[in-house]
Amino acid sequence: MKKIILSIFILHFFIVSALLGQEKKDEVINIFEQPILITSAGQSAEVQIASVLAKRAGLSAALSKAAFANELKGIRTLVIVLGVSLKGLGAAGLDISQETNRVQILVDDAQRKNIPILCLHLGGETRRGQLTDDLINTFLPFSKMAIVVESGNKDGLFTSICKENHIPLIVVERAVDALQPLKKAFK
Amino acid sequence: MSFITIKKETIKGSILFLSIILISFFSGKQFLQMHKKDIIIQGPGISSKVKLSVYFPLLKGTPGDTDVYVFKGKEEGGNLLILGGTHPNEPAGFLTAIILIENIHVDKGKVFIIPQANHSGFTHNDPHEGNPQRFPIQTPEGIRWFRYGSRLTNPVHQWPDPVLYVNPSGQKLSGAESRNLNRCYPGKAKGNLTERIAFGITNLIKKEQIDLAIDLHEAAPEYPVINAIVFHENSAELAALVYMELQMEGFEFRLEASPKNLRGLSHREWGDTTKVKAILLESANASHGRLKGKPSVALIIDGKDKNYVKASRIGRLFVPFDEKGIPLKVRVGRHVAAIKAFLSNLQEVELGKGIDITNFPSAREIIEHGTGIYLEPPK
Repeated sequence: MKKIILSIFILHFFIVSALLGQEKKDEVINIFEQPILITSAGQSAEVQIASVLAKRAGLSAALSKAAFANELKGIRTLVIVLGVSLKGLGAAGLDISQETNRVQILVDDAQRKNIPILCLHLGGETRRGQLTDDLINTFLPFSKMAIVVESGNKDGLFTSICKENHIPLIVVERAVDALQPLKKAFK
Repeated sequence: MSFITIKKETIKGSILFLSIILISFFSGKQFLQMHKKDIIIQGPGISSKVKLSVYFPLLKGTPGDTDVYVFKGKEEGGNLLILGGTHPNEPAGFLTAIILIENIHVDKGKVFIIPQANHSGFTHNDPHEGNPQRFPIQTPEGIRWFRYGSRLTNPVHQWPDPVLYVNPSGQKLSGAESRNLNRCYPGKAKGNLTERIAFGITNLIKKEQIDLAIDLHEAAPEYPVINAIVFHENSAELAALVYMELQMEGFEFRLEASPKNLRGLSHREWGDTTKVKAILLESANASHGRLKGKPSVALIIDGKDKNYVKASRIGRLFVPFDEKGIPLKVRVGRHVAAIKAFLSNLQEVELGKGIDITNFPSAREIIEHGTGIYLEPPK
């Protein structure tokens, strides 16, 4: 009997811990500092939504869709908005390999300067695909936190990368719902 | 004997000749049906109706001259231009413009609506496509018919096409694109008819100091830029705000930046050559696509197509597509919702440029009850 009670107690402990852990994940607060540099990985227009969200959250943010390493001067957080748009790449005069190299250099420099990275994916299911997935696989592991729109994580890609790399993942229903977690994430 | 042979040949020849005459007569008559104008009823809120040639007199008397409906508010505010019928085979844009013309009242600012931007394109309908010439819309008091035209200017009005077309912005395109209004911006005063229409519209934007211009389109479900808001970089913040507002109202859109190297399009050239915030909206029209089955009135209105359902299942489309299809009422409803969202956010990014419209049709009601509820009865 004692064994059964002990087992139930242990099981209960693990369930409660897991639930608390999950809750904690959803309430990632004050881990980033300002000012912020917002850039795109893939040149999708969601970078513009991120900029509006940052403005609405009252954050000190600069938007540079195709930012280079020299723009990290004085920056305390790098926000990378993941999502490939061929139209967007065309508009920026970049191809996917140039874009990947640009972001890689930026990420490397941010790592050297201890600038934390926050990854966003706001375009949902329609902004997934091989090219976007390649960028997610390449750059998401470098992030300190990620906020993604639920429909973009239907296959669990973000969940698995974040779990593997111990990255807190916030899943929101719509892009506009990213406002509150974004606000809370900054000091 | 020889007399009889000659007589037989003469009879055969006469029958053939008569058949050709009859076929030519009836097909010609059918062809000319496309020149019969659509009836657009002036709503109570209209201040005036002018011709595009007011802004570019060389268009006067040409098949490119088209009606501009003007709504002036009592209070000063922003100026809005809405374009339907840039491509007359994209009926959601044209119908949205008509619904607005027949309903809205402007209290603040000015609104200009051109429902048939490429007027010439409404006078033919690409016979090789097998599309119906007209489609009906049921209003509470009867049916109204509208033309289903062509993407391009009528070759009768602009002929021949060059082998290679270099548009006014210097981009090289295939010859037929010289008749595509949305490749001819900002237009040319001494150019071909389509370039002159584009020049007239650009002049209107400049002379009326338009703050926001929205070009209404449709595209095939297999086209990547679909259910989309395409924005010039000068309207990026506005477009992002609109995207989020629409999302809150349950409308999913894609947000796409206008590529700087894709020249001649409204969302690029309007923004580059004038100060206007240039926007292009795309809805998903199965009757416009290459994968569609038999072209029909039902396909235009109900938007149902088995081939597209199959294509969706194997992941070949850029928009969800099931057995319910994407009806015209949904496509128009999405355009109406997006225009409304742009108006409600314009004031936020351009202080003093607010535009107040009353009697604005409800997107949800259009989607639920159809476009006919907002159309005047046939006259």
